[in-house]
Amino acid sequence: MTSHFSRPRRWAARAGALALGAALAAGTLAGCSTSSGDDAGSKTITVWGWGDPVKGMKAAVPAFEKKHAGVTVKVQDVGNPAIWDKVTTGMAAGGSGLPDVIDVGADYMSNYLETFPDGFADLTPLGADKLEKNFPTGLWGGAQKADGHQYGIPFEVNTSLIFYRTDLFQQAGVDPASIDTWDQMLDAGKKIKAATGADLFAVDKAATQADAANFWQMLARQSESFFFDKKGDIDFTSKGSVDALEFMKKANDAGLIADVPQSQGTTSQAKGETPVALLPLASWAVSTFANDAPDMKGKWAVRTPPATDAGGLTAASAGGTYLAVTKASKNQQLAYDFVEFSMATLEGQQLVYDGGHLFPSFKPMWETDAFKADNDYFGINTNDLVMTALNQKTPPDYYTKDYAKALKAYDDAQTQVLVSGADPKKALADAAELLAGQTGRKIAKG
Amino acid sequence: MTTLTTTSGSAAATRAPAAAPAPRRRRTLRGRHIPYLFLLPVILLFVGFKAYPVLYALVLSFTSNKGGVDTFVGFDNFARVFSDPLFGRALLNTVQILVIQVPVMLVIAVLLAVAFNSKLLKARAFLRVAYFVPIVMGLVAYGILFSALLSYNDGFLNFLLTSVGLPRVPWLADPNWAKVSIILALTWHYTGNNAVIYLAQLQSIPEELYEAAAMDGANRRQQFWNVTLPGLRPALVLTVILSTIGTLQLFDEPYVLTGGGPDNATLTIGMYLYNNAFKYFDFGYASAIGYVLTAIVAVLSVVQLLVLRRRAS
Repeated sequence: MTSHFSRPRRWAARAGALALGAALAAGTLAGCSTSSGDDAGSKTITVWGWGDPVKGMKAAVPAFEKKHAGVTVKVQDVGNPAIWDKVTTGMAAGGSGLPDVIDVGADYMSNYLETFPDGFADLTPLGADKLEKNFPTGLWGGAQKADGHQYGIPFEVNTSLIFYRTDLFQQAGVDPASIDTWDQMLDAGKKIKAATGADLFAVDKAATQADAANFWQMLARQSESFFFDKKGDIDFTSKGSVDALEFMKKANDAGLIADVPQSQGTTSQAKGETPVALLPLASWAVSTFANDAPDMKGKWAVRTPPATDAGGLTAASAGGTYLAVTKASKNQQLAYDFVEFSMATLEGQQLVYDGGHLFPSFKPMWETDAFKADNDYFGINTNDLVMTALNQKTPPDYYTKDYAKALKAYDDAQTQVLVSGADPKKALADAAELLAGQTGRKIAKG
Repeated sequence: MTTLTTTSGSAAATRAPAAAPAPRRRRTLRGRHIPYLFLLPVILLFVGFKAYPVLYALVLSFTSNKGGVDTFVGFDNFARVFSDPLFGRALLNTVQILVIQVPVMLVIAVLLAVAFNSKLLKARAFLRVAYFVPIVMGLVAYGILFSALLSYNDGFLNFLLTSVGLPRVPWLADPNWAKVSIILALTWHYTGNNAVIYLAQLQSIPEELYEAAAMDGANRRQQFWNVTLPGLRPALVLTVILSTIGTLQLFDEPYVLTGGGPDNATLTIGMYLYNNAFKYFDFGYASAIGYVLTAIVAVLSVVQLLVLRRRAS
């Protein structure tokens, strides 16, 4: 009787605790495997990106969904640089929580491929092998592993461009067309400063964000040097690298560089609120002026960068992005189909271009009528300008998996020079030394 | 649970006194097990979300990612920590911030707590809340607020300085000022929190002690040194240790304000750990840094505890 009376309670207590424990455990597991798509057979493709690329990809979604009945594509703006933390965390967790498709910056690609070999799906068997001829070779090769298999389809391609204020040049009596080298630009900057008070350009001197290195990267690339050379050795101490930082020091000592934290963006410069004569940016920026500074139309013009030495390169690659499919995706083929449709068909690319106005890597697009038209804001065919720059023989960028470390080491050297007045050559040599210690890489002979 | 066992126990006793001994033993067994059942969710969560990550980080700290494979490298990562100039820099920065910021903050917090406790103060509740609000503020809002305050060209602080004829200060762009900015932000963020802890302790100091001190002719200042401060000792020990641990693990402020810059002037150990893990994907090295940091925190806390206890006795 007694046992009969109490047993159900005991069982109830045990069952309750067990159920609770099981529910928690299940919840934990479920939390670990948040991948897109609800069940096997569900057809939702999730895409991560940021800003303009997201606008572009979203524009291609309706046409893709029409071709694939029952398929939903969700394009999410995760924000840049927040996206890299999220992707890295997901990769480190074996792919959980990641979407099907990710927009990956060229500078991150080799790092992800080396660090997380199982992070991205091999696109070659999915159909990427047919696409190679349609893309610039340098960018295409940047998303390959040693075995030659493809892990990303190029999205946008960028090349450095210089935006300049025609009104300021005019007030200072300088003809921008007469400037062929950066040294001439520096002299022009002195005249502009004297006449208008405007700085020549702005740099995030304290390097609050890694992008503070952009200007130096452009100059260094124009001298065919970069963080690493072809062998993967550290290239900080090469003549091109040192000269680039020397130039920045000269401009800084002459009081021509405005200090603008990267987080403020370039909008206030585009609007003329922070007066600068130059905005050294890249091809992606062409489309931003009409939005950011409509009232300044007619005051901004765009050109390729002046050369470091007369007759040298007037172009520098400014990276690009890829669409990659995650290995954790349950619908790899379908995800790839979306990537191919939006990146490598004229129909999809047209929609993506109209949505995001980013310069496409897909070469057949360059032949279309849209690319023959003049840009409304600048009054010239900016696409022509970009293609001219892309056609110059710029060397490939050797990012390696230690790019982020190199970028940090460089940024610190730049801060030492611009904020504390250090000697560029010494600062770069120290940075090379530090990086060599961190990565075990050799320092290239300058 | 106890109630349940006793009720069923007494029920059993009244209904079947003869059969009592055997079921009672079973019941005590059950009674002993049931607390664990109730703890099970917490234990599962602890194992899953605390013990597992902590132990896995220990395993990771002995590995290095080579060509995508985590390879065992023995103590290499730890050897690297001790020969890494940036780790040394981060440790030095952290210690500099610690020895300046923690005492300043705690002194302000004691003074605030005494003020909050004063019967002369009007709008006490409002002021207490006002000083406590920063602790509730999220990382992002905090970052935006201080970026706006400290901005070189249009920041509020520089506006104040220029309006009294002083030059602008490069709060975030100069290596030394950036440290000052971090200290300012930290103090703003945590002083209220410590003041509230002190306030709670102050309110437990019996009024009679002050009356007795007054009878003995002690003035206000003597009362503060001889009654208030000794009464605050337990809270002081607690806050010194908590603030030290918090500052050693400092991450939020440099992350949102300076990114560790300029030129590593505000690079803290936490920031350097984050960079290695999430920027350089060097999880093995980052884990090793984490364990070294833990060891430093543990040693320092024990030392503080011993010193402060000895003083107390």
